Amino acid sequence: MSHTAEESFISKYVFSVDHKVIAKQYMITGLLMAIVGGLLAGVFRTQLAWPDEPVFGLGIMAPHVYNAMVTMHGTIMVFWVAMPVLVAGFGNLLVPLMVGADDMAFPRLNMTSYWVFFLSTIVLIISFFVPGGAAAGGWTSYPPLSNSIEASGVNWGVNLWVLAVALEFVAFLLGGINIITTGINMRVPGMSMWDLPLFVWETVIASIVFLLSVGPLIGGAVMILLDRNFGTGFYDPIQGGDPLLFQHLFWFFGHPEVYVILLPALGILGEVLCANSRKTLYGYKMIVWSVIVAGILSFVVWAHHQFVSGIDPRLAFPFSLMTILISVPFAVHLFAFIATVWRGSIRFNTAMLFACGFVALFLIGGVTGIMNGTAAIDIYIHDTYFVVAHFHYTLVPITFIATFAGIYHWFPKLFGSLMNETLGKIHFLGTFVFLNLTFLPQFNLGMMGHHRRIANPTAFDFLSTSDALFLQELSTIGTYGLLLAQIPFVFNFFSSMFRGEKAERNPWQATTLEWNTESPPGHGNFDAPQKAYRGPYVYSPEGVSVDFLPQFEPPQDGE
Amino acid sequence: MKNVSWRNLPTYQKGEHLKMKWCKSIQNLVAFFSVSLVSALAYAQPQPESGYNLPRDVSLDGHRIDWLINITMVFCIILFVIMCIWMLWAIFLHGKNHKADYDTGDSKHHILIACTISALIFFVVDGNLFYNSVVDLNEAFWNFEKAEGPDAVQIEVNGRQWVWDARYKGADGKFNTADDIVTRNDIRVPINTPIGMQLTSVDVIHSFFLPNLRVKSDAIPGDVNRIWFQATDTGDFEIVCVQHCGAAHYKMRGILTIMPENEYKAWHDEASRRAKLAFDPEDKSAQWGWAWEEL
Repeated sequence: MSHTAEESFISKYVFSVDHKVIAKQYMITGLLMAIVGGLLAGVFRTQLAWPDEPVFGLGIMAPHVYNAMVTMHGTIMVFWVAMPVLVAGFGNLLVPLMVGADDMAFPRLNMTSYWVFFLSTIVLIISFFVPGGAAAGGWTSYPPLSNSIEASGVNWGVNLWVLAVALEFVAFLLGGINIITTGINMRVPGMSMWDLPLFVWETVIASIVFLLSVGPLIGGAVMILLDRNFGTGFYDPIQGGDPLLFQHLFWFFGHPEVYVILLPALGILGEVLCANSRKTLYGYKMIVWSVIVAGILSFVVWAHHQFVSGIDPRLAFPFSLMTILISVPFAVHLFAFIATVWRGSIRFNTAMLFACGFVALFLIGGVTGIMNGTAAIDIYIHDTYFVVAHFHYTLVPITFIATFAGIYHWFPKLFGSLMNETLGKIHFLGTFVFLNLTFLPQFNLGMMGHHRRIANPTAFDFLSTSDALFLQELSTIGTYGLLLAQIPFVFNFFSSMFRGEKAERNPWQATTLEWNTESPPGHGNFDAPQKAYRGPYVYSPEGVSVDFLPQFEPPQDGE
Repeated sequence: MKNVSWRNLPTYQKGEHLKMKWCKSIQNLVAFFSVSLVSALAYAQPQPESGYNLPRDVSLDGHRIDWLINITMVFCIILFVIMCIWMLWAIFLHGKNHKADYDTGDSKHHILIACTISALIFFVVDGNLFYNSVVDLNEAFWNFEKAEGPDAVQIEVNGRQWVWDARYKGADGKFNTADDIVTRNDIRVPINTPIGMQLTSVDVIHSFFLPNLRVKSDAIPGDVNRIWFQATDTGDFEIVCVQHCGAAHYKMRGILTIMPENEYKAWHDEASRRAKLAFDPEDKSAQWGWAWEEL
């Protein structure tokens, strides 16, 4: 099946229809954007810790610049890092390989998807440089602030922001259709839905959730564009509109979106934990059902973002209950992951360390989530740093810790070599320690009532106490550490890509189909048509002499 | 305005924290972690004004939220510690040389155990949280009837970039008349009296937050939201806008002054008398009030 026909540089590396090249394009674009988003955080955290000093000696930061930075940091990290790296990047790389397909179901659609995404990235970058600056209304972009030029002082920045987000969603719609079709329809003979690796299940469900939730947001964004540019009044109460409409549309998408990026991360975790503890996934069916339940519940939790917007209690209580309820499927995940590791044969490579780190960090994000989801507590902590700390404890593990686990684990399938383990472990240690130093103090800041998105906390007496300023400094020092801790990773990534130890086909002795290809897989992926003989995680089976039985291995004696 | 309740603190000066000595940082670090731990475990009382915990509560019902936050924090920490110990145990128990068990976890026995543990945690932790949340909101925070009686004080609050305007009924007992008191970033309320507020905004969404009274609500253009509270101590407390509302959002700040009842009455009568004298019917922009919306 491997094609060896000569291809030009352009068709091989730029306008490629090969899912692996597109996956790399998505990942590298996403990781480059992560550098932009991370540096933005470094700058505005400096402002928060030493609010009256020039930032890096460049001058006092104007509040509207601070607002734009916070807005773009949020937008970039969620839409331009988490989505392209986790869903599009890993989804593109792994879904076809894991189901034994030679490419995505629609390769050209796939290529289109990346280039539309690339265009959206360009539009977003341009929005930094237009007159009036980038969007500064928060990543949620609530009207009337976002659709009033007088109120926000931003004109083209918001138009381009909306355009970029809309283009990006077109890209992920195309990508999502591809992932669903490939994951469900292109399974090799012998692979039933209950033989799918967890990552495929999670990514397919995530893509379905994305497809079903994205419509309302696109509608909402178009209404912002119409309000801004054509004088309509969808969100203007004077013209009969309602500002709250956008909040409902945004969070109808925005909350499922969290699960859209969480699910592939959990999928990566399942694969890494199983392979490195040499144990079969604990309660595979239970996990899959809990993913499906979480996918459904994710559509009925959105109004927990609006508990202080004057919501009717008859609406608030069901949403509060659903929000608390949705913690159960994810608790099931974490139980199952730890039970998977339990009594295994543990191999502490870098991917495994990141996976275990994810469980610990995500637990903090998870347990504080039920506090946010409770309407009474939310009255106090809504829009404070407690919320900021909470969602960073969920989104940073998802977007970065799980991604790192995935990159260290699948680097052989990306670039054909192994990453340096020593640098990897330094990277893990630095990331883990400084991540906590950055976000743990923010829970306390939230407890003190410290509200979000303020350029200079010393405008308030209760935020000018030495305790509050000390916590801000601590968090900022953590941010610097977190950013510096990524240097070994960047170095490792490129040096391993070019000079790393060559990887064999299956360096981790894993069981899923992608390990039956060369490292990296050639065009067309597999040497011969594949067939699946068993479930995805047969590690350390009883009655057989071998340590593991891959899906592609024909049945053994005694099995 | 002099902010009385914070006066015991060392005065903050620009750049002062930069010069903080290293030993002070260590001290703070130790204090931060020990206070986090101790306060969470023993659910210590919120400290006055300073410290790493909740700000001093000066409201009738704020203790409900504090209790709920503290008890849930304790549950969360216990849950977190158990899970982490289990995980650390799991990953350090057996190294490479141990032959892993083969356990798919699909047996009815296993599923039963998993479901029981999940249900137990759900009903104990989440159930407690949800039940108390509903009770607290129905009895206290969203029970707006408490601030509707003749003894209550009613205030209309209007947010705009980046000011909190407040309006009180004058001697005539009606809103939006000539003797209304209108203040700017300065809200005065009597102690031990239910205070009802109706909030709106004229430009973008703001959010009215009183950290020391544990109440918060968005102020939304075209919409009237309510809050109510009852103060239990006098003093000056900061009013915060917590919803991002534009360039100067960071300094949208007001002062809530809680006064003894007689002082409040004296202030109110005098201010209403002066408001009537200063009233200018031509100044339409000052007449932003509305008839109090009944429940």
